[in-house]
Amino acid sequence: MTVLPPSRTVTGPPPGTRVETLPSVPGLGGLYVRGAAGSAAAQIPGRTTATTLPAVAHRVEGVRVDPGHLTSYQHLLGETGSDALPSGFCHVLAFPVATAVMVRTDFPLPLLGMVHVANAASVLRPVHLGDALDVTAWTQDLRAHRRGTQLDVCAEIAVDGEVAWRGISTYLAKGVHLVGGAESSDAESSVTADASDQESSGEVGASVVWRLSADVGRAYGAVSGDRNPIHMSALSAKAFGFPRAIAHGMYTAARALADVGARRGPTYDWTVEFAKPVLLPGRVDVTYTTGADGAWTYAGRSSSGRPHLAGTVIPNA
Amino acid sequence: MTTSPTPSSPREAYVLGGNRIPFGKVGGAYARSSNQDMLTAALDGLVARYGLQGERLGEIVGGAVLKHSKDFNLVRESALGTALDPRTPAFDLQQACATGLEAVITVSNKIRLGQIESAIAGGVDSTSDAPVAVSPGLRRALLTAARARDLPTRLKAFAKVRPADLAPDAPRTDEPRTGLSMGEHQAVTTARWGITREAQDEIALRSHHNLAASYERGFQDDLVTPYRGLVRDQILRPDTSAEKLGKLSPVFGKRLDHMPTMTAGNSTPLSDGASAVLLGSADWAAARNLPLLARVVDAETAAVDFVHGHEGLLMAPVHAVARLLTRQGLTLGDLDLVEIHEAFASVVLTTQAAWADDDYCRTELGLPGALGTIDPAKVNVNGSSLAAGHPFAATGGRIVAQTAKQLAELQAASPAAGPFRALVSICAAGGLGVAAILESVPTTEGDPR
Repeated sequence: MTVLPPSRTVTGPPPGTRVETLPSVPGLGGLYVRGAAGSAAAQIPGRTTATTLPAVAHRVEGVRVDPGHLTSYQHLLGETGSDALPSGFCHVLAFPVATAVMVRTDFPLPLLGMVHVANAASVLRPVHLGDALDVTAWTQDLRAHRRGTQLDVCAEIAVDGEVAWRGISTYLAKGVHLVGGAESSDAESSVTADASDQESSGEVGASVVWRLSADVGRAYGAVSGDRNPIHMSALSAKAFGFPRAIAHGMYTAARALADVGARRGPTYDWTVEFAKPVLLPGRVDVTYTTGADGAWTYAGRSSSGRPHLAGTVIPNA
Repeated sequence: MTTSPTPSSPREAYVLGGNRIPFGKVGGAYARSSNQDMLTAALDGLVARYGLQGERLGEIVGGAVLKHSKDFNLVRESALGTALDPRTPAFDLQQACATGLEAVITVSNKIRLGQIESAIAGGVDSTSDAPVAVSPGLRRALLTAARARDLPTRLKAFAKVRPADLAPDAPRTDEPRTGLSMGEHQAVTTARWGITREAQDEIALRSHHNLAASYERGFQDDLVTPYRGLVRDQILRPDTSAEKLGKLSPVFGKRLDHMPTMTAGNSTPLSDGASAVLLGSADWAAARNLPLLARVVDAETAAVDFVHGHEGLLMAPVHAVARLLTRQGLTLGDLDLVEIHEAFASVVLTTQAAWADDDYCRTELGLPGALGTIDPAKVNVNGSSLAAGHPFAATGGRIVAQTAKQLAELQAASPAAGPFRALVSICAAGGLGVAAILESVPTTEGDPR
């Protein structure tokens, strides 16, 4: 049996977290401006930075999904046009609320330059178009990593007071060493190990090729609101040290989730670990394997075999 | 599921249930939705309602009238998006507005022959997301350029493109051979049979009131699954009245000698939607504890020569029904329900006027005399396309599912009587018409095989 992902072991914000209710979902454009300003301020020598996460959760209540937004997302990711929200779409809904926590002045890490290294999300009960959604997001578990500092950005979506979806995004602030203590292991090594495990196990497998056009970053930016410059164009990506624009990690993970499709069932866990970024335009070869328990594992690689992402989609029977 | 050897004599095929999404206005609730989105939603609802998750069905057959070329395998692709066993085969079928009913007939014939045990017949159409093609001139240039091996040849291909070629080709609903729209054709037929404006508005009024009443009494609860925020058909006007309908200006037949009578109120608007019908053998249904709503008795397709003006474009069902009833040894009086697709209100009236005309029935239908008349209380009892809308290929599934359910209700209300019988008649572009007979299943019936 597969180990439960963190999205099923976390149960709400840590004790002592103060909940701040926002009047509406904040616009990501403004948040990025604040995030960029914060990131620049963090570079100023001698500026004192906090070394703990703000014990604050942000909440927006009664969020309604726009049907056109959902349809655009589903068409882009290859999801069916169901009224049930795909887990990746729930992530998109919660993302601005989570980002609002990360641009707070008491948040200790620079928003730009943080790397999304892993994600786990659980649909605990189906969430539908038309439901009034209460979205809560917070950060937790700031920890030392060999290459910097890691933390989890957590989000929950509740319907009628019951948590229906939970997502845990793990970020790495490269080269920022805020906290001491035992270093956590590197996600990339487990990605590669997982992928090779699957292939030797002889389970049912499928192969899919994604041919990603140069504008995939802009297209996912439009449906997710995540218009980080590294995804938008080769020029803006170069400013951040990438040779070309890179695909959003969550775009690739959500494509994998859509490929598994209806076989994930109405409630499911979905995990991903990101390795090398996917440069655009680009091609990703993805393999899917499943065993008797109905759990799917997937791994996406470049044509030269370098790992891009790997993860699981596990139906909750 | 094992396939038993093909029986030597046909057995029966039954309608077991149906599901559709509420029909939307063009540019309305489903403006952004594709045919595949909507058909998948209709199938998903059917799968959920009848517990078909993981089932390998015999076949799924359906189609769309306005279809993008990339959707060549529309039904199979839609099926792959559902919780059905991915090993369920499917194919696309297209017979204009009769697509949905022809799909029902096709799969029921396969069930009757023992080739399959279960099936879904469906249909979908979007006039909001209709395919727009490039002009023939631009298409030739693009294809020539794609085949070219060097840049000069490629450029030369485009040199032939004229500015007019850059205008896109929107889909047209005009008849290719006459250049007349369906409404203009029917305006001629309406005038020929002397159908009044008042009679047409009365049909439209009844359609809205009957459909609204069917929603009110909960009849549609297990036939319709809300989608994209739409709970009922977007075109439905429960509060419409003869006065409101009477104020609308005519839109078709304005160039005829007769006073034009066809308005936006008594003609079906363009719409978006999808429907699906579950069919199966008695054994397959019994194994899943699914009640038999209605037996598919027989069907007939006809075509008429409308091109040379001999017959009206939408009059083919008149011929199909005459042949079908004759073959079955039935008369109009043997029918308990009659569904005449309301492409236009006047279709319901010209169809019945033709059947009641002694001379026409002798000369055109080859009958000994008039086919007869129908009690208006038996016609389109739960409303039809004027009120629900008419996403072309989705209409057949809507009518078959709700008619089968209505037959089962009649049977349940009078267990000792029956079987109750329904006629479904659908006109289609190209001078086509499809008719089918459904029959309720008396509870006292032994092994229906």
